[in-house]
Amino acid sequence: MDERLRSEDETIRLLRESAAAIAPRGGPLSRIRALRFTLPGFSREVWQEIAGLGWLGLRLSEAEGGAGLGMEACCALAEELGQGLVPEPLIPALISLPFLPPALRAQAVAGEIIVLPAWQEEPGALGPPRPITHFERGVLSGQKRFVPMAAGADYFLVAAAEGLALVPKDAEGVSLVTAMTQDGGHLGTLSFEDAPAEPVSAEPLSAGPLSAGPVLAAFAAALDEAALATAAYLLGLADRAFLLTLDYLRTREQFGRKIGTFQALQHRAADLKLALELTRASLWQAARRYDDPATPPGERQRLVSQAKARASRTALEVTAAAIQLHGGIAYTDEYDAGLFLRKAMVITPQFGSADWHARRFAELSPPDEDL
Amino acid sequence: MSDAPVIPPRAPDYNPLDDEAFREVVREFLAENYPPHLRFPPHRLHWAECKEWYFILAEKGWIAPGWPRQWGGMGLSPAKQIILIEEFERFGAARLPDHGIVMVGPLLLRYGTDAQRRFFLPRILSGEHIWCQGYSEPNAGSDLAALRTEAVREGEAWVITGQKIWTTLAQDANWMFLLARTDKTAKKQEGISFFLVPMTSPGIRVRPIVNLELHDEFCEVFLDQVRVPLDHLVGEINQGWSMAKALLGFERIFLGSPRQAANALARLKALADHLGLADDPHFQRRYTEFRLDLADHRALYAVHVARLREGEALGAEVSMLKVHQSELFQRITAYMLEIAAEYGGLLEPIGGNRALHPGGLFIQSRPVSIYGGTNEIQRNIIAKNVLDLPG
Repeated sequence: MDERLRSEDETIRLLRESAAAIAPRGGPLSRIRALRFTLPGFSREVWQEIAGLGWLGLRLSEAEGGAGLGMEACCALAEELGQGLVPEPLIPALISLPFLPPALRAQAVAGEIIVLPAWQEEPGALGPPRPITHFERGVLSGQKRFVPMAAGADYFLVAAAEGLALVPKDAEGVSLVTAMTQDGGHLGTLSFEDAPAEPVSAEPLSAGPLSAGPVLAAFAAALDEAALATAAYLLGLADRAFLLTLDYLRTREQFGRKIGTFQALQHRAADLKLALELTRASLWQAARRYDDPATPPGERQRLVSQAKARASRTALEVTAAAIQLHGGIAYTDEYDAGLFLRKAMVITPQFGSADWHARRFAELSPPDEDL
Repeated sequence: MSDAPVIPPRAPDYNPLDDEAFREVVREFLAENYPPHLRFPPHRLHWAECKEWYFILAEKGWIAPGWPRQWGGMGLSPAKQIILIEEFERFGAARLPDHGIVMVGPLLLRYGTDAQRRFFLPRILSGEHIWCQGYSEPNAGSDLAALRTEAVREGEAWVITGQKIWTTLAQDANWMFLLARTDKTAKKQEGISFFLVPMTSPGIRVRPIVNLELHDEFCEVFLDQVRVPLDHLVGEINQGWSMAKALLGFERIFLGSPRQAANALARLKALADHLGLADDPHFQRRYTEFRLDLADHRALYAVHVARLREGEALGAEVSMLKVHQSELFQRITAYMLEIAAEYGGLLEPIGGNRALHPGGLFIQSRPVSIYGGTNEIQRNIIAKNVLDLPG
């Protein structure tokens, strides 16, 4: 046990170090600024680097050509990407990989193609209870929404009522409309009109991912993993917004003293630290127990929801407070604090809003557990 | 000063009208004259966008509601001015570049020379001079008295060097009123003077700043050895700080007006309708709490408005209105973001409907607790000047 922990810690440490190639801790955000409000809003060259670093195969088994790492490693990486506000859609892309046919998967893991999942129909929800997108007789019809960075995908993995299907972005009958987001990225709405697609599973999605067969159960688990990784991304970005703020409190002078000496601001900073530590504890508890094979699926979901609900709230709280504690300077677009707020506004609801996760946490918790 | 008009007023004296009749006059005027495409602008308008409205008001004689009638103003009582502003806000009239009207006019009327009044006031009324305010500096925000822009007397000129920030719409202005240090040896509040500076002066450089709304509402203004004649100083030398403080008139009450929170609450309801959440009990509960907060805020606001009507000056209590209004506005927009989920992250309004823009409104609500004195400063004022706590 000790041996395993030590080796994992070492793996995670190396993974965090490798993340510096793309998102060095506290590094400049000029690349992120330059990509804002462009399409596809991220860089294929960086995607190649990401592939080269082996991150796309992080969660795949060694037999599938991956590294077989757990959610702890995945969250550590996501946290690093969050502090760097990395726009490349790694978290959604990881969902698709296990479901791809081997040849396509090899291309995707090599970073040659990008396959993003198109699963969502309702805002803020992690699983559509009854998808209105259908996959019958080899063609897709319906609509999927809120696909992050959709314009940069080559294929979409579509969750239809009849199962998962794979469709090229430029296939006949597929149309993509993008809407810019506050962080400078975008969300795609995909409409399918008798679009020819390849089946990935034949399991119906009638009652939602939670109660479906093995492929769809795996897809639901992949969504949960994305939710947890998103919580880690949010923690990373909130942490860095907080550090930026602490720096300002330590250096900015007004009334002949550092503003960090004012008790009102000290207490505010203490509250934010508390929120961050609650988030960190919740996140790593969820990640560790997720990786434990003895943890039942329902408990995994509950822990994911606990962590994601907390991280979503904390990210908005901390980034909004960062603006307030800086004052006017942070209300300019050229100062970095705003980048963190805008990213939090966009990422916070992804893979289930705080409210959705709070509800699921309640549903999955024994009624008198805490009493 | 005699009451004989120096600048003849264009508008009749509305003070004898009862409040409701005056309200009706304002509503009718807006309905008939306000440019429809400028209603409820999503951000502060540039001069080129809003000058037609300025000229309409100037023509009507309504551009300076608070100025005395002998200087071409409407001469309205504070109570009538509040009605005017309420109706303008209700109608969605754009805020004009009004620093000349709200700040420079009262400054010169109170502290200026007759020559300064006769030169500047007509040009403010006509829209020939558009003013911006040079108060804040990079290292003098909450601590404004720490400002370092300096004016040095050289023969028949003042030479001004320094840097101003958060200057609203400086790129549109042709004049700036600013505070500069004229005595570095005095206590910081006692070495500051008030100057009037043409923006066309050699040595002035304006750099627009893009804000979080991605709009260039503010600017930085750099002054490098800018020379102005001696008569561009206002009032006594080294008395600028107390003049600036005295200029903080009853308009401060508008920082605590329920307008922004009320508008946000209406948007919240529209958003809930759009999302099909209006009947959801969780939503109902939160919405009702906000309605109660707003209703109580209106009650508190009415207390202060009533005091103004009675002729009382505003005290430090007005800070409470600002703190509560701004934070209520922010709580409502934060809840909008919560229920909007992915829609809250969109850069543009949902479906192109300007009433449905939770992300935009959330960002707009951020600086409200910063400008006009941060809420931290407001709470200090409440603690010290209302509660008389030590320290």
